[in-house]
Amino acid sequence: MSSPRDYPQDRVIEFSMPSRLELLVVLDGLVQSICSEMDFEQADVDAIANSVIEAASNAVQHAHEQNPGVPVHFRFVLGEDELVVEVNDAGEGFDIDQAMALDPTGPEGILKSRGRGIFIMRAMMDSVDFDIRMGKGTLVRMTKSRSTEAEAEA
Amino acid sequence: MKIKQEAIGDVYVVRLSGQLMGGPDADAVRETILSALNQGYRNILIDLKDVSWVNSTGLGILMSAHITATQNGGKVKLMRISSRIDSIFMVTRLNTVFQVFDKEDEALASFEGETSEGQKS
Repeated sequence: MSSPRDYPQDRVIEFSMPSRLELLVVLDGLVQSICSEMDFEQADVDAIANSVIEAASNAVQHAHEQNPGVPVHFRFVLGEDELVVEVNDAGEGFDIDQAMALDPTGPEGILKSRGRGIFIMRAMMDSVDFDIRMGKGTLVRMTKSRSTEAEAEA
Repeated sequence: MKIKQEAIGDVYVVRLSGQLMGGPDADAVRETILSALNQGYRNILIDLKDVSWVNSTGLGILMSAHITATQNGGKVKLMRISSRIDSIFMVTRLNTVFQVFDKEDEALASFEGETSEGQKS
Protein backbone atom coordinates (compact mmCIF):
# COMPACT_ATOMS: atom_id res chain seq x y z
CA MET A 1 0.00 0.00 0.00
CA SER A 2 1.18 3.54 -0.69
CA SER A 3 1.83 5.82 2.23
CA PRO A 4 -1.08 7.96 3.42
CA ARG A 5 1.31 10.92 3.10
CA ASP A 6 1.16 10.52 -0.68
CA TYR A 7 -2.29 12.08 -0.82
CA PRO A 8 -2.75 15.76 -1.72
CA GLN A 9 -3.65 17.38 1.57
CA ASP A 10 -6.28 19.70 0.07
CA ARG A 11 -8.48 16.67 -0.57
CA VAL A 12 -8.09 14.94 2.79
CA ILE A 13 -10.53 14.92 5.71
CA GLU A 14 -9.28 13.42 8.96
CA PHE A 15 -11.39 12.42 11.93
CA SER A 16 -10.67 10.70 15.22
CA MET A 17 -13.26 9.08 17.44
CA PRO A 18 -13.19 7.56 20.93
CA SER A 19 -13.89 3.83 20.88
CA ARG A 20 -17.54 4.11 21.81
CA LEU A 21 -20.16 2.24 19.78
CA GLU A 22 -22.75 5.00 20.14
CA LEU A 23 -20.44 7.38 18.25
CA LEU A 24 -20.72 5.28 15.10
CA VAL A 25 -23.83 7.36 14.41
CA VAL A 26 -21.64 10.48 14.19
CA LEU A 27 -19.25 8.67 11.85
CA ASP A 28 -22.14 7.54 9.68
CA GLY A 29 -23.35 11.13 9.35
CA LEU A 30 -19.89 12.26 8.26
CA VAL A 31 -19.66 9.49 5.65
CA GLN A 32 -23.10 10.38 4.30
CA SER A 33 -22.03 14.03 3.97
CA ILE A 34 -18.78 13.20 2.19
CA CYS A 35 -20.55 10.86 -0.24
CA SER A 36 -23.18 13.50 -0.93
CA GLU A 37 -20.46 16.06 -1.60
CA MET A 38 -18.93 13.64 -4.12
CA ASP A 39 -22.29 12.93 -5.85
CA PHE A 40 -22.22 9.19 -5.28
CA GLU A 41 -25.35 7.25 -6.26
CA GLN A 42 -27.47 6.27 -3.25
CA ALA A 43 -26.62 2.56 -3.61
CA ASP A 44 -22.93 3.46 -3.49
CA VAL A 45 -23.49 5.75 -0.51
CA ASP A 46 -25.08 2.81 1.32
CA ALA A 47 -22.22 0.52 0.34
CA ILE A 48 -19.57 2.97 1.52
CA ALA A 49 -21.38 3.78 4.76
CA ASN A 50 -21.97 0.09 5.54
CA SER A 51 -18.30 -0.69 4.90
CA VAL A 52 -16.91 2.19 6.96
CA ILE A 53 -19.22 1.26 9.81
CA GLU A 54 -17.97 -2.34 9.59
CA ALA A 55 -14.32 -1.31 9.72
CA ALA A 56 -15.03 1.09 12.59
CA SER A 57 -17.05 -1.53 14.47
CA ASN A 58 -14.12 -3.96 14.22
CA ALA A 59 -11.76 -1.29 15.54
CA VAL A 60 -14.03 -0.27 18.43
CA GLN A 61 -15.24 -3.71 19.45
CA HIS A 62 -12.34 -6.04 18.69
CA ALA A 63 -9.15 -3.98 18.40
CA HIS A 64 -9.88 -1.55 21.26
CA GLU A 65 -12.41 -3.64 23.22
CA GLN A 66 -14.56 -0.50 23.58
CA ASN A 67 -11.90 1.34 25.57
CA PRO A 68 -13.06 4.96 25.03
CA GLY A 69 -9.59 6.27 25.83
CA VAL A 70 -8.18 4.72 22.66
CA PRO A 71 -9.24 6.61 19.53
CA VAL A 72 -9.90 5.22 16.06
CA HIS A 73 -8.45 7.38 13.27
CA PHE A 74 -10.14 7.91 9.93
CA ARG A 75 -8.83 9.51 6.77
CA PHE A 76 -11.03 10.26 3.78
CA VAL A 77 -9.36 11.18 0.49
CA LEU A 78 -11.84 12.79 -1.89
CA GLY A 79 -10.49 12.01 -5.36
CA GLU A 80 -11.94 13.16 -8.66
CA ASP A 81 -13.86 9.93 -9.21
CA GLU A 82 -12.87 7.85 -6.22
CA LEU A 83 -13.15 7.93 -2.46
CA VAL A 84 -10.39 6.38 -0.36
CA VAL A 85 -11.17 5.61 3.28
CA GLU A 86 -8.56 4.57 5.81
CA VAL A 87 -9.43 3.25 9.26
CA ASN A 88 -6.53 2.96 11.67
CA ASP A 89 -6.67 1.23 15.04
CA ALA A 90 -4.11 0.49 17.74
CA GLY A 91 -5.13 -3.10 18.41
CA GLU A 92 -3.07 -6.27 18.55
CA GLY A 93 -3.91 -7.24 14.98
CA PHE A 94 -5.52 -10.45 13.77
CA ASP A 95 -5.05 -13.39 11.42
CA ILE A 96 -6.72 -12.27 8.20
CA ASP A 97 -6.66 -15.79 6.73
CA GLN A 98 -8.43 -17.19 9.75
CA ALA A 99 -10.94 -14.35 9.71
CA MET A 100 -11.82 -15.16 6.10
CA ALA A 101 -11.61 -18.94 6.35
CA LEU A 102 -15.36 -19.57 6.56
CA ASP A 103 -17.68 -18.36 3.79
CA PRO A 104 -20.46 -16.57 5.73
CA THR A 105 -22.90 -17.26 2.89
CA GLY A 106 -22.22 -21.01 2.85
CA PRO A 107 -24.39 -23.64 4.56
CA GLU A 108 -22.24 -23.61 7.72
CA GLY A 109 -21.30 -19.94 7.86
CA ILE A 110 -24.74 -18.49 7.23
CA LEU A 111 -26.02 -19.72 10.60
CA LYS A 112 -23.13 -18.18 12.53
CA SER A 113 -23.70 -14.99 14.48
CA ARG A 114 -20.21 -13.66 13.64
CA GLY A 115 -17.78 -13.52 10.74
CA ARG A 116 -19.50 -11.25 8.22
CA GLY A 117 -17.67 -7.93 8.67
CA ILE A 118 -14.73 -8.32 6.28
CA PHE A 119 -16.93 -10.17 3.81
CA ILE A 120 -19.37 -7.22 3.73
CA MET A 121 -16.56 -4.71 3.17
CA ARG A 122 -15.04 -6.74 0.33
CA ALA A 123 -18.41 -7.25 -1.33
CA MET A 124 -19.40 -3.59 -1.18
CA MET A 125 -16.18 -1.73 -1.94
CA ASP A 126 -13.99 -1.82 -5.05
CA SER A 127 -10.90 -2.69 -3.02
CA VAL A 128 -10.16 -3.45 0.62
CA ASP A 129 -6.60 -3.89 1.88
CA PHE A 130 -5.37 -4.67 5.37
CA ASP A 131 -1.99 -3.58 6.72
CA ILE A 132 -1.81 -5.62 9.90
CA ARG A 133 1.14 -4.76 12.13
CA MET A 134 0.92 -7.41 14.84
CA GLY A 135 0.93 -5.73 18.22
CA LYS A 136 0.98 -2.26 16.67
CA GLY A 137 -2.40 -1.80 15.05
CA THR A 138 -4.21 -2.32 11.77
CA LEU A 139 -4.77 0.02 8.84
CA VAL A 140 -7.75 -0.79 6.62
CA ARG A 141 -7.78 1.02 3.28
CA MET A 142 -10.90 0.89 1.13
CA THR A 143 -11.70 2.51 -2.19
CA LYS A 144 -14.91 3.12 -4.09
CA SER A 145 -15.19 4.70 -7.53
CA ARG A 146 -18.20 6.72 -8.58
CA SER A 147 -20.47 4.70 -10.86
CA THR A 148 -20.77 5.93 -14.42
CA GLU A 149 -24.27 6.91 -15.60
CA ALA A 150 -24.53 3.65 -17.56
CA GLU A 151 -23.53 1.60 -14.51
CA ALA A 152 -25.99 3.46 -12.30
CA GLU A 153 -28.83 2.82 -14.73
CA ALA A 154 -27.95 -0.88 -15.17
CA MET B 1 -31.48 1.16 20.16
CA LYS B 2 -35.01 1.12 21.55
CA ILE B 3 -37.39 -1.82 21.69
CA LYS B 4 -41.16 -1.74 21.75
CA GLN B 5 -43.28 -4.86 21.75
CA GLU B 6 -46.89 -5.81 21.38
CA ALA B 7 -48.96 -8.90 20.73
CA ILE B 8 -51.22 -8.81 17.70
CA GLY B 9 -53.26 -12.01 17.81
CA ASP B 10 -50.81 -14.89 17.87
CA VAL B 11 -47.95 -12.77 16.61
CA TYR B 12 -45.49 -11.08 18.94
CA VAL B 13 -44.33 -7.90 17.21
CA VAL B 14 -40.95 -6.47 18.24
CA ARG B 15 -40.37 -2.94 16.98
CA LEU B 16 -36.76 -1.78 16.96
CA SER B 17 -35.55 1.77 16.42
CA GLY B 18 -32.13 3.37 16.13
CA GLN B 19 -29.14 1.32 15.02
CA LEU B 20 -28.61 -2.39 15.53
CA MET B 21 -24.91 -2.73 16.26
CA GLY B 22 -24.05 -4.88 19.22
CA GLY B 23 -23.12 -3.92 22.74
CA PRO B 24 -26.17 -4.01 25.01
CA ASP B 25 -28.45 -4.41 21.98
CA ALA B 26 -27.61 -8.10 21.73
CA ASP B 27 -28.82 -8.96 25.23
CA ALA B 28 -31.89 -6.72 24.93
CA VAL B 29 -33.12 -8.35 21.71
CA ARG B 30 -32.33 -11.85 22.95
CA GLU B 31 -34.20 -11.25 26.22
CA THR B 32 -37.18 -9.88 24.31
CA ILE B 33 -37.30 -12.95 22.05
CA LEU B 34 -36.96 -15.29 25.03
CA SER B 35 -39.69 -13.39 26.88
CA ALA B 36 -42.03 -13.83 23.93
CA LEU B 37 -41.22 -17.55 23.72
CA ASN B 38 -41.69 -17.98 27.47
CA GLN B 39 -45.10 -16.33 27.18
CA GLY B 40 -46.03 -18.99 24.64
CA TYR B 41 -45.68 -16.98 21.46
CA ARG B 42 -44.06 -18.83 18.59
CA ASN B 43 -44.67 -16.33 15.80
CA ILE B 44 -42.30 -13.39 16.14
CA LEU B 45 -42.22 -10.44 13.79
CA ILE B 46 -39.37 -7.93 14.02
CA ASP B 47 -40.16 -4.48 12.63
CA LEU B 48 -37.06 -2.66 11.35
CA LYS B 49 -38.84 0.39 9.92
CA ASP B 50 -37.09 2.76 12.31
CA VAL B 51 -33.68 1.09 12.20
CA SER B 52 -31.43 3.20 10.02
CA TRP B 53 -28.61 0.69 9.71
CA VAL B 54 -27.19 -2.56 11.05
CA ASN B 55 -23.61 -3.75 11.18
CA SER B 56 -22.40 -7.34 11.10
CA THR B 57 -22.84 -7.60 14.86
CA GLY B 58 -26.44 -6.49 14.39
CA LEU B 59 -26.88 -9.19 11.76
CA GLY B 60 -25.54 -11.63 14.34
CA ILE B 61 -28.17 -10.45 16.79
CA LEU B 62 -30.90 -11.18 14.24
CA MET B 63 -29.37 -14.59 13.49
CA SER B 64 -29.27 -15.38 17.21
CA ALA B 65 -32.94 -14.41 17.46
CA HIS B 66 -33.71 -16.71 14.53
CA ILE B 67 -31.80 -19.62 16.11
CA THR B 68 -33.27 -19.05 19.58
CA ALA B 69 -36.80 -19.01 18.17
CA THR B 70 -36.22 -22.03 15.93
CA GLN B 71 -34.78 -24.08 18.80
CA ASN B 72 -37.93 -23.34 20.76
CA GLY B 73 -40.33 -24.23 17.96
CA GLY B 74 -40.85 -20.65 16.88
CA LYS B 75 -40.23 -18.54 13.82
CA VAL B 76 -38.83 -15.04 13.31
CA LYS B 77 -39.82 -12.94 10.32
CA LEU B 78 -38.80 -9.39 9.47
CA MET B 79 -40.63 -6.46 7.98
CA ARG B 80 -40.08 -2.97 6.63
CA ILE B 81 -36.32 -2.98 6.13
CA SER B 82 -34.64 -0.05 4.40
CA SER B 83 -32.85 -0.36 1.07
CA ARG B 84 -29.57 0.09 2.93
CA ILE B 85 -30.25 -2.85 5.22
CA ASP B 86 -31.65 -4.84 2.30
CA SER B 87 -28.32 -4.42 0.49
CA ILE B 88 -26.53 -6.09 3.41
CA PHE B 89 -29.11 -8.89 3.48
CA MET B 90 -28.55 -9.52 -0.23
CA VAL B 91 -24.76 -9.58 0.06
CA THR B 92 -24.74 -11.87 3.09
CA ARG B 93 -27.63 -13.96 1.72
CA LEU B 94 -29.59 -13.53 4.93
CA ASN B 95 -32.53 -12.92 2.61
CA THR B 96 -32.49 -16.71 2.18
CA VAL B 97 -32.78 -17.23 5.95
CA PHE B 98 -35.44 -14.67 6.83
CA GLN B 99 -38.78 -13.99 5.24
CA VAL B 100 -38.95 -10.22 4.81
CA PHE B 101 -42.15 -8.26 4.19
CA ASP B 102 -42.71 -4.71 3.03
CA LYS B 103 -46.08 -4.32 4.75
CA GLU B 104 -47.22 -5.19 8.25
CA ASP B 105 -50.57 -6.67 7.24
CA GLU B 106 -48.87 -8.99 4.77
CA ALA B 107 -46.34 -10.02 7.39
CA LEU B 108 -49.04 -10.75 9.97
CA ALA B 109 -51.14 -12.67 7.44
CA SER B 110 -48.14 -14.80 6.49
CA PHE B 111 -48.23 -16.50 9.89
CA GLU B 112 -51.84 -17.63 9.43
CA GLY B 113 -52.14 -21.32 8.82
CA GLU B 114 -48.55 -21.99 9.80
CA THR B 115 -48.21 -24.68 12.41
CA SER B 116 -45.11 -24.69 14.48
CA GLU B 117 -44.33 -26.85 17.48
CA GLY B 118 -45.82 -25.38 20.62
CA GLN B 119 -47.87 -22.80 18.72
CA LYS B 120 -49.76 -20.49 21.07
CA SER B 121 -53.50 -21.05 20.83
